[in-house]
Amino acid sequence: MSTGESPLRLRRPRGAELAPFAILAIMIVALALVPVVTQYTVRTANVYDIFQNFASYGLVALALGITIIAGEFDLSVSSMYLFGGMVAVLTGGSSPALGIAAALGAAILVGLVQGGLIAGFRLNSMPVTLGGYLVVLGITYILGHNKSVLYDNFDVGLRLDEPVLQIFSIRSLVSLGIFVVAALVLRYLRVGRDLRAIGGDRRAARVAGVRVDRLLIGVFVVSALGAALPGALLSYSLATASPTNIGFDVLTFSATAALIGGVSLSGGKGGAVGIAAGVLSLSVLQEILAILRSPDYVSSLITGGLLVVVTIVWAPNLSEWFRTARVVRPAEERT
Amino acid sequence: MVLEVEGLSKSFGPVRAVRSLSLDVRAGEVHAVCGHNGAGKSTLVKTLVGLVRPDEGVIRFEGEELSLRNPQDAQSHGIALVNQELSLVPELSVEDNVYLGGVDVPLLYRRRRLSEGAREVLDQLGLRHVQLGTPVETLSIGERQLVEIARLLVRDARLLILDEPTATLSKPEIERVFRATRDLVAQGRSVIFVSHRLDEVFELCDRVTVLRDGQRVATHEIQEIDRRSLIEHMLGEMEGVKTMQEHEHAVPGADDTIVRIEGLTVPGSVDGVSLALERGIITGLAGQVGSGTSTILRALGGLVPSATGTVEVQGKRVLLNTPRRAAAAGVLYVPNDRQREGLFLGQAVERNLTVSRLRRLSRLGVLLRRRIRRTARELATMTGVSLERLGSPAGSLSGGNQQKVLLGRALQLEGTALLALDEPTRGVDVGGRAEIHNLVREAARTGTAVIFSSTELDEVLDLADVVVTIFHGRIVSVVPRADASASAILADMTTTQAASRSAAS
Amino acid sequence: MMARVGIERRPLRFADAALAAWIAILATVTVYGAATTEGFLTVSNMKAILTAASFVGIIAVGLTVIVLSGNLFSLALGQTAAISAMVFLYSLRWGLVAAILFTLVLGLAIGAVQGFAVGAWGANPIIVTIGAAGLMEGMAVWLSHGQSIVPPVDETSWEHLANPVLGLPAPVYVFIAVTVVLAVVMARTRFGRQIYLLGENRTAARAAALPITLLTVGAFGIASLYTAGSGILIGATSANASLLLVGSYTYDAIAAALVGGNAVTGGRGSIARTAAGAIFIATISDMLLLRGYSTGAQILVRGIIVVVVVVLTNLKERTR
Repeated sequence: MSTGESPLRLRRPRGAELAPFAILAIMIVALALVPVVTQYTVRTANVYDIFQNFASYGLVALALGITIIAGEFDLSVSSMYLFGGMVAVLTGGSSPALGIAAALGAAILVGLVQGGLIAGFRLNSMPVTLGGYLVVLGITYILGHNKSVLYDNFDVGLRLDEPVLQIFSIRSLVSLGIFVVAALVLRYLRVGRDLRAIGGDRRAARVAGVRVDRLLIGVFVVSALGAALPGALLSYSLATASPTNIGFDVLTFSATAALIGGVSLSGGKGGAVGIAAGVLSLSVLQEILAILRSPDYVSSLITGGLLVVVTIVWAPNLSEWFRTARVVRPAEERT
Repeated sequence: MVLEVEGLSKSFGPVRAVRSLSLDVRAGEVHAVCGHNGAGKSTLVKTLVGLVRPDEGVIRFEGEELSLRNPQDAQSHGIALVNQELSLVPELSVEDNVYLGGVDVPLLYRRRRLSEGAREVLDQLGLRHVQLGTPVETLSIGERQLVEIARLLVRDARLLILDEPTATLSKPEIERVFRATRDLVAQGRSVIFVSHRLDEVFELCDRVTVLRDGQRVATHEIQEIDRRSLIEHMLGEMEGVKTMQEHEHAVPGADDTIVRIEGLTVPGSVDGVSLALERGIITGLAGQVGSGTSTILRALGGLVPSATGTVEVQGKRVLLNTPRRAAAAGVLYVPNDRQREGLFLGQAVERNLTVSRLRRLSRLGVLLRRRIRRTARELATMTGVSLERLGSPAGSLSGGNQQKVLLGRALQLEGTALLALDEPTRGVDVGGRAEIHNLVREAARTGTAVIFSSTELDEVLDLADVVVTIFHGRIVSVVPRADASASAILADMTTTQAASRSAAS
Repeated sequence: MMARVGIERRPLRFADAALAAWIAILATVTVYGAATTEGFLTVSNMKAILTAASFVGIIAVGLTVIVLSGNLFSLALGQTAAISAMVFLYSLRWGLVAAILFTLVLGLAIGAVQGFAVGAWGANPIIVTIGAAGLMEGMAVWLSHGQSIVPPVDETSWEHLANPVLGLPAPVYVFIAVTVVLAVVMARTRFGRQIYLLGENRTAARAAALPITLLTVGAFGIASLYTAGSGILIGATSANASLLLVGSYTYDAIAAALVGGNAVTGGRGSIARTAAGAIFIATISDMLLLRGYSTGAQILVRGIIVVVVVVLTNLKERTR
């Protein structure tokens, strides 16, 4: 480091960790205000919908969030999501559990390959996972013979989505449960700390003795799992799996949720609870839009806009750019 | 003896960094290792922690002969290094950093036993006021250094090597590190203290070993030696440099000031530096690593957004908040880290030589290729870079030639008022250094002002017309070359007392 | 670092060998495929390949400027192309020239804004462009009310953009022309030179006082401008534009740039490489199609090629 003389970093203001929860609170208040200011009503079913949305996308946001905390990125989650559904539907005909297991097993394989390449060759994860995205998408198409595949076992989907305590379902409870486990692991296990370390300062982590490469491979395995599992569950729930490229919808949603949830794009910061708040915020927002019967494009406008805004807020040079140029300033000219 | 080093030798290519060096360290002592730049200190340190494998020699620690392959290896034997580049993760808490990367840290690691262990070590180091959950990025540099030491203590380091630990610290922070160091040796651990700062050596250490040209000159009990003889040991024949002086040095005072710097301040690094730089005069900033010399030049180059102060170029106040503004004002900064910040290693030498003058070598945005080639040839001829290499990537050149290319791009540019060279000969051999010095003199002769920083005394004495000594971000002395002596500069570069002396005058 | 002083480095040659082997494999497969695929070696098929390569190729050569500038790539290209096609067909009511100019300026502006966020503030290029893609999709549906855009009934001038000229469709000529122009810009102008330097080493570019924000705005602007140009041709060819046109343009363009062997990390590569990559990808796709392979196999093959090329170019760059 040639600039070793100014090692003080700019800090984000205190309370930044609370921002995700503040945003969630605002969304909930907005939801509560819907019946007050419009003619639409909010029912328990709407809350159920919010958690269903959480079940569908939450784990992808968690998986993506973990890769971002580790200072990487995984573009392949959106095709892995479809892939998980396809594998589960194709192999889970007799036993849904077997389908899930197959989907997860295949995901682990993909994660190992991607993580192995990235850690082994020290590659930038963006192009590698872009290639991975295409490979996985291609396989999904081939598996489905280029079309949607129906899942005959309708009961499974019905059971997964059956309301529990009115607002939950097995599917959403599974997602919530995994979030709790992830939060505990990130908070209390060594691996959570190491994850933040390799994202925060990889050199320092390596020097301190963290096994960076092993951890990186693990991150991409987790990321693949986090995309394949909700994909598989959603396919059961819809009783169909499709290879259709649904574009970056999953990716846009989960990236936005993770970044709103306090995950820093420069790595090293964020946690499962914040990501959950981010996912819930976006889910509530989408539900509000649905209650208001607003067309689909509004949601996509808002999500896209939010993603751009959050990315700019996290941009490393933003504060420097806005700071008045104090450098060797001609002081007297100002007076 | 806890540590015994015998007959240690290490060469890098033709450079013999360390020659049959011996050293011993007692249990429970602070042992200073002093020496001028290039004396072999860093090679010795790297050998002790397994970063460098010696060509010859034996290292015995606690009676056991060691053959170290990497720093982890050294750590498992109880030898650990703290250098300026800390291995802390700023985003993590103090406790997390203390246990980061430890081998025997349990999987489920939020345990009271661990927290108590960390607390105990931190208290020992005088960090009683620091909470375990505080992110390290909120700590001061000195506190961070102590957290790094805490990590090593948790891993049961019995020999700690502190490499220039105080370079970036403020006075109270230095006190805290010293107190912690004394406590450590009181427990029977040993410390090797590598420093340029002689008064700190006298304040803290029990014994001192002086290195010069890769060899041990002397080892003394600290009571047996005074500052003067220590400097003499370090300089050796160096005092002769002054009489050997071959180059004519320009004399300042012609009142031809072209750049005036007033109250340049960078929080935590540079403190109110004011200088008047004259046409044709080469000003040398002499200071140790971390003294702020490099930051002064970076600020002039527009690379330090937090800098304040005023700068006048040719009587006009200028705003130097970005490198582009600085260049437009005629201030050209040449970075010290040629690999990272200086050169475009994968691009052809020709492209590197002409990067700063593309505007003049193009018309309406279209490159004038023949003129580019001609200019590149001229600059290459001037700097002594082989013309055949103009088309090869800069990264394929030797270090000395890379440095010449880096300097070459700043030469013969119209409108340059000030050339700011940050360690212009870092990692360059003697012959290359002389050539680069001649190029700098040539540049000054064309009427620009030149300011450079260097940690190396002989470079300052060889090149500078005016020697400005910087200690801890402040100017200690400004001396015309004719009045400068090696020992006085070295004393100024290494002594806090000098800082107060100049403040009084 | 000290150890390197005075020693001229000799690059390792393993990576070169691996790359040569890979190219040999690809060449063999292509030649074998060409010889054994029925209907491949026909004039009409060659035309089909060139036409297919044109649309993607124009986007890909524009994207190459982003790649060379060290900002990875853009994930908003498909959306930019689709929106441009829609805007073009809609604005034909003001005349052909006005429609072309308006669409190109809009494309340039869309890219420039993204480039500004990346260049001035250091925002992550991938995520900014993902967000921009979402915004564009939303806006396209909003403004078009979810309907396909068709050209005005009485206006036919646009058909020239899709009709064959001297036996080849017009887009092929456009592809060749804009590739040559951009290749010259990158090789012979100050902008091009500075883009290479910025991509090689951003820190050094800053210290050397290069106009980083301007260059980044330019890189994204050109990529988006070219994409808009391709969108115009796509719109004219299909005479009907909606978001369905987004298709796989984004990935195909990125694949073309990467397959051409441009370094993902920036600074090294060329426009010509990307053009070759686009033609190669179009050739492979065409061959797979003729042999009856499905969409899935096409995507899969592209993905594998991207991964292998990324690994190989990285190895090669590292040993330089």
